[in-house]
Amino acid sequence: MAAHRVVGHTIGRVDGVDKVSGRARYSADITLPGLVWGKTLRSPLPHARIVRIDTSKAKACPGVLAVLTARDLPDVLVGRRMFDMPLLARDRVRFIGEKVAVVAAIDPDLAEEALAMIDVEYEDWPAVFDPVAAIEPGAPLVHTDPGAYEGAPAERPHPNVQSVLRFRLGDVEKGFAEADLVFEHTFRTQLAHHGYLEPHAGVVAMDADGRVQVWASNKMPFRLKELLSHALRLPQEKIRVNLTPIGGDFGGKGSLMDLPLAYHLARVTGRPVKMTMRYAEELQAGNPRHPGVITLATGVTRDGRIVARRVRALYNSGAYAAFKPAPSVNLGGASMGAGVYRIPNLSIESLCVYTNAIPCGHARSPGEPQMVFAEESHMDMVANELSLDPVEFRRKNLLRDGDVLPNGHHLEHVRAAETLDAALRASRWSEPKPGPWIGRGLAMGHRHIGVGFTNAQVRLETKGTVTLVIALPDTGTGAHLVLRQVVAEVLGLSIDEVDVELATTDAFATDSGVGGSRVTHTGGRAAYHAAEKLKELIRAEAAKLGVPEASLAAIAQAAAADGRKLEATHFYDAKSHAAVTSFTAQVAEVAVDPTTGQVTVRRFTTAHDAGTIINPIGHQGQIEGGLIQGLGYALMEELGTEDGRISTLSLGDFKLPTMQDIPPLTTVIVEDPVGPGPFNAKAIGESSISPVAPAIANAVADACGVRIVDLPITAEKVFGALRQKEQRS
Amino acid sequence: MNRMIRLTVNGESREVEVPTYRTLLDCLRYDLGLTGSKEGCGVGVCGACTVLLDGKMVSSCIALAVFADGRDVTTVEGLAEDERLHPVQQAFMDFGGFQCGICTPGQVVAAKALLDETPHPGDAEIREWMLGNLCRCTGYYKILESVRAAAERSRA
Ligand code: FES
Ligand code: FES
Repeated sequence: MAAHRVVGHTIGRVDGVDKVSGRARYSADITLPGLVWGKTLRSPLPHARIVRIDTSKAKACPGVLAVLTARDLPDVLVGRRMFDMPLLARDRVRFIGEKVAVVAAIDPDLAEEALAMIDVEYEDWPAVFDPVAAIEPGAPLVHTDPGAYEGAPAERPHPNVQSVLRFRLGDVEKGFAEADLVFEHTFRTQLAHHGYLEPHAGVVAMDADGRVQVWASNKMPFRLKELLSHALRLPQEKIRVNLTPIGGDFGGKGSLMDLPLAYHLARVTGRPVKMTMRYAEELQAGNPRHPGVITLATGVTRDGRIVARRVRALYNSGAYAAFKPAPSVNLGGASMGAGVYRIPNLSIESLCVYTNAIPCGHARSPGEPQMVFAEESHMDMVANELSLDPVEFRRKNLLRDGDVLPNGHHLEHVRAAETLDAALRASRWSEPKPGPWIGRGLAMGHRHIGVGFTNAQVRLETKGTVTLVIALPDTGTGAHLVLRQVVAEVLGLSIDEVDVELATTDAFATDSGVGGSRVTHTGGRAAYHAAEKLKELIRAEAAKLGVPEASLAAIAQAAAADGRKLEATHFYDAKSHAAVTSFTAQVAEVAVDPTTGQVTVRRFTTAHDAGTIINPIGHQGQIEGGLIQGLGYALMEELGTEDGRISTLSLGDFKLPTMQDIPPLTTVIVEDPVGPGPFNAKAIGESSISPVAPAIANAVADACGVRIVDLPITAEKVFGALRQKEQRS
Repeated sequence: MNRMIRLTVNGESREVEVPTYRTLLDCLRYDLGLTGSKEGCGVGVCGACTVLLDGKMVSSCIALAVFADGRDVTTVEGLAEDERLHPVQQAFMDFGGFQCGICTPGQVVAAKALLDETPHPGDAEIREWMLGNLCRCTGYYKILESVRAAAERSRA
């Protein structure tokens, strides 16, 4: 591999001075002259008719500038792909936490007080909360005619089904007929919030030219502009989205959230309006990870070859489909029902179902932690039934070069076996376990490298430095630093000689923004090609100048003296996935306390088949951050619900891992520089999260012989299962 | 009801009229324009709003502004001296101790408080002390490394 000067070198977050010093202005920190505050009133009932709303007392409150209900707003529906959600509930509420009124006041506390003065009369309706019950005949209907919504998929086996996503390979019926044995297991996964620590926030203001200025914790500024244009019935040119740092995304920061309401308040009051969600509102009405009920049936030969598999996933999508951005209005992670295995005959069916619960959205590798938990637990359970070693059973069935994925793509450079071996070696898998009640578990996954389209502009400044202009927000990953490194590498500069200038949505025509593990690939390639173009311009300019050793400053100044700027733009558009993916293999070693059922992760090993690593600290940071999210998902994170009411309404009750919860970690990188990104980089952001829960579940089974099939793996569940096992024997 | 309070913020004495129910966090952010301290959970469990009150670490989202009357407040904005980052801030940059940065003001204030009290903490002490500062991005490994490095550097 060619040695790089900047790419691959250990560079800390040199872009972070503003963040460590408190100067960085996030959306909630934006302030403008005359700014007022918007707050929303939410429904206390899961399904009800709104009989009447009396806002008179709130309106009369001093300091309150506006109180709006659905009657005051145009009758529009919003969404990211399927448009089924009103801005404020109109005649009917469909979940606890749905917005029914919004207030603007000169002070945030005052706005909240005014909410308490709004009187709403409801008529209770029957509700449905469980996705299995929701698709029974006669279930209460969450929407009267979902097929009529803009963007609604055509297939609808039951009116409470939002969407069906299918993957098929071979002929499953034939496959099962050939199987010696068939094993079927069902798993349940929980409702879980992303846990970003910055609640949704936004500011909307009308400028002197009558344009709508927006600052928002949103990772897709151009899509946001389109969606706002749709929701506000304004031409796109009338809207400008200004980029701010984002306080964590993990898939959750791509929707409109309160921005249309902030606009209407700004319109009515003539003042800039800020709306920030309280964390309780995030937990009640953010757009969390879908809970799932997943059944896998696998047909095998006696010697452990998989010949057929049928997977059915039922995702509880809650009251609206609006938060799902994929064209399928479903969760692509369902395709991981095939795991990392060659399965000649496969059928996967994923249903997203309406219920009167919190509407769910995308969360870091959408649908995958759910499916990989089920699939990789199932693999161990099948191996156990066959009396096969779980490693050997996996090895027999691993994907190889040329195999076809459920989505029909052919794979190349398959590093499944190498990644597995690396994890086994580093975890000392075959060494004896250090004691009783200690177990080891293995799980694997793989993920595509994201696609999308991004613009980058590079400009040579007269002082000899280069400015990279982009309109991609940094959700925290350090993406801007990665792009700087790419530009510096191409142009032979040091990292300090490249600056990033963050543009608004006025700068480019479009950009797919952040998400789906795409930025290093799409942003990186846009920056790479723009820098290559600039290099050409510089070369030509130097030739014109006739001074062979001319400095970049001299070249830029010569061009400037001529009235020319040396700048280049590149629009990079990756439409289809590369034929390579990134594999992950993880091993958990756990101890189970027989007296309490408490699971402690003693050590953890994660192995990744990575491309060229551009920023090692950032790359490792993605692995560690995703992994600890996976650990929280495995062991503690759960939004408790009771008849559609979230019972864990604070971060004290919805538990996230703390620094005390992190296990000793070994990371192994199997570097295979064949990715589609710049310098053959791959993706990493969504690789480490999904196999953590099944690795732990498999380790718990190895430690104490109990199999937990529903997440999270709490002490209560393990203790209960141990008791049951005792009673049986 | 409003009340006039006087407090020293990052070495500067400030006077401000606040409603008695105003939290110290809202007072800093909205009345004094110091938006470095962040609101995450709003209920005292995430540490994004951590400030020092007379040198002691507090969650400013659950302290009332009137409670700080006559006292000394240090926020993240007050850690750097004449544009020179505090060693803790520098270490967070060098070792990847933050990603999105929303928890970072609280993390660096908490870490400074730790090192003020215990200049050379062991890992167990760091973990114990930093327990109340959630971070959803980093998985904590690099925060631990950053705090460790800041302590080591000050030993050198
Ligand atoms: S915002 Fe104060 S502790 Fe979370
Ligand atoms: S850096 Fe994002 S929460 Fe800590």
